[in-house]
Parts: sequence; structure tokens; C-alpha cells
Amino acid sequence: MSSRRSRSRQSGASRITDDQIIDLVSKLQQLIPELRGRRPDKVSASKVLQETCNYIRSLHREVDGLSDRLSQLLASTDTDSDQAAIIRSLLM
Amino acid sequence: MKRWTTKREHQIYSSKLFQALCRSRRTSSSTSAKELHQTADRVLAITAKGTTRWSRAILAAPLTAGTNMKKHKKAKVTVHTRLRKPVVNREKRKLPVVERKLRALRRLVPGCRKLSCNNLLEETSDYIAALEMQVRALTAITEFLSRGLL
Repeated sequence: MSSRRSRSRQSGASRITDDQIIDLVSKLQQLIPELRGRRPDKVSASKVLQETCNYIRSLHREVDGLSDRLSQLLASTDTDSDQAAIIRSLLM
Repeated sequence: MKRWTTKREHQIYSSKLFQALCRSRRTSSSTSAKELHQTADRVLAITAKGTTRWSRAILAAPLTAGTNMKKHKKAKVTVHTRLRKPVVNREKRKLPVVERKLRALRRLVPGCRKLSCNNLLEETSDYIAALEMQVRALTAITEFLSRGLL
């Protein structure tokens, strides 16, 4: 990537080395489901970082939606202690 | 970070979370989605046993009663992302794209705003794995509760 070359000219100002970024990016790529199959040299660093941010945000949204459903469920049911014990044993 | 994928960890987390939810229901009449999400995050951080920065940051954060603060912050970040130009003039010395996105990532993972690159990688991967488990656990609890109703 020629952007790497232009960044190294200013690396005196930034404390993060290019190698660190490359390392971070290649490892992050393995975590993101969307990018896992792709070859590392075909995905740019900024895309991996963008996808990581998007993935974390989508996980946050998913938990938000689940919390919403669950809080509604909890509000509409009146789980007594017996039922709660059963559910806990199921979870374990 | 492998621990977030084990069945055992999943069981520990979901039963702890369910316990916490039952407890909070006894004290207050209704649990808002926001409080539930907060509880889920706190139990997740506790399950991490203080080994990661993001978990310590969640536990150290004060409990926010209102929704305004958090949503306001999130809105700011979202707008910033949309205004960002997709094509970067490589000659520009200010704020290269990668550094900007690194900063965005740092804001998303709790407690990592000033973290170095290497540690950020560890925190991010642990955080993502934990969030994925959180999703699985919440789904499981919801399923069990809805089955209990039928």
C-alpha cells in the first residue's frame, strides 16, 4: 500500500508504528465474521478498522434489542420462585 | 479470550445474569431496557474477573439513570463517522484515515481511549468475544422465559 509509504514520512510525529498497525489490523481481521475469509492483503487497514467499529456497534445494538425484548417479557410475566429456580437450573 | 466461547462460561454468565434480573425485579416494579442492558454489561464485566481494562471501566462507571447522556454521546460519534470523507488525500498530514478509525475504535471499547496499539488489540478481541457471548446468553434467557409462559 503506497499509503504506508506516505505515512512513514510523518511517523516522526505519530507514536504508532506502521508495523503495529499492520499487526493490529491483520489480527482484527480474524475476529470480524465478514472479513474472516478474505485474504489479508486484499483488505485495507482502514476497512478492517471500519468493519471492527461497525461490528462492535452492531453487537451493541443487538444487545439493546434483546434487552428490550427481555425487559418486556419480564414485565409481563410474574416469575415466582419455583419457576425462577427451574429456569436457573436450565441455564446451568 | 478463549474463555468466552466455552459452554461453562456461558452457563455461569447467563445464570448470574438471570439471578441479577430476578433480584432487581424484586426491588423495583419494572426494569427498563436500558437498566437491563446496564445490568447485563455489569455482570459481563464481573464475569471477566477484572482481568481486562474494558471490564474494569464498566464496573468503575457510575450507573446512569437517564438515557440522555449515553444516547447523546453515541449520536455524536455516529454523525462524525458519516461526515468522514471516504477518499483520503494521501498528501494530507492531518489525521490520516487509519488513525481516525483507530480513535473511533478506542471510543467504542470501554476504558481504552488512551491505550497503545498492542493492548488495544487484546482489549478489542476480548471485548468482541465477550459481547458475542452476551448476545448468546440474552437470547437463551429470553427463549427460556418465553417457553415458561406457554
